[in-house]
Amino acid sequence: MARTETYPRLVAFVSLLLTLLFVYTAVSKLMHLDIFLTRVERMPYISSRAHLISRGVPLLELVIAGLLWVPKYRTLALYASFVLLGLFTTYIIIVLTYSDSIPCSCGGVISALGWKHHILLNISFMVLALLGILRSKKQSNITSPQNTVQ
Amino acid sequence: MKSNFLKLVLPAFAILLAVGLAFATEDRNIPQTGYYNHPTFGLQTIETDCLESGDDPCLVDDQYQVYKNQGLTIPLYERPE
Repeated sequence: MARTETYPRLVAFVSLLLTLLFVYTAVSKLMHLDIFLTRVERMPYISSRAHLISRGVPLLELVIAGLLWVPKYRTLALYASFVLLGLFTTYIIIVLTYSDSIPCSCGGVISALGWKHHILLNISFMVLALLGILRSKKQSNITSPQNTVQ
Repeated sequence: MKSNFLKLVLPAFAILLAVGLAFATEDRNIPQTGYYNHPTFGLQTIETDCLESGDDPCLVDDQYQVYKNQGLTIPLYERPE
């Protein structure tokens, strides 16, 4: 009985942290969209799609943050969080392998972090998203048999 | 009541906190104008996102120190790796 109450709390906690991250970084980017665009234009491999990325990423972050609080789409939003963070982390690792330094395109005080710390932060949030996905699945496994009985 | 807290209050709190933090830390993320002394062309300006504190000096062309002010008294440093 206690476990059935633990799962929603854990998923809500993970959703809370991911919402804080995504809304914070999205708003920081949107406040200075021209600066964010300039930074993306300076980044290797993706500069040709800078306009699309500079508008699409903050929008996507806000959409994911919103979907995290819609029960029907919560698991999807957790998957999307994991994939978005994973793509960005993979991109950073690939670029850092071929370049000494790259301009930070992240939002807010996160840009004051070094790239190694940024990768660690991203991986931590990816682990959280993964934890949320697993808990969300367990939660639905627990509630599903009850639903079918009803 | 508990359900309402999870569905409405918690996300609203998270969003407000995140937006507030974004505005509160706004100035940390804005590139600034830096200055350096070029031996031929004299005082030059450059857009930089270097910080006022750090270990590695912020350099132009790997040789000219970038400063925060035109008096060239406040050196800037690279963001940590």
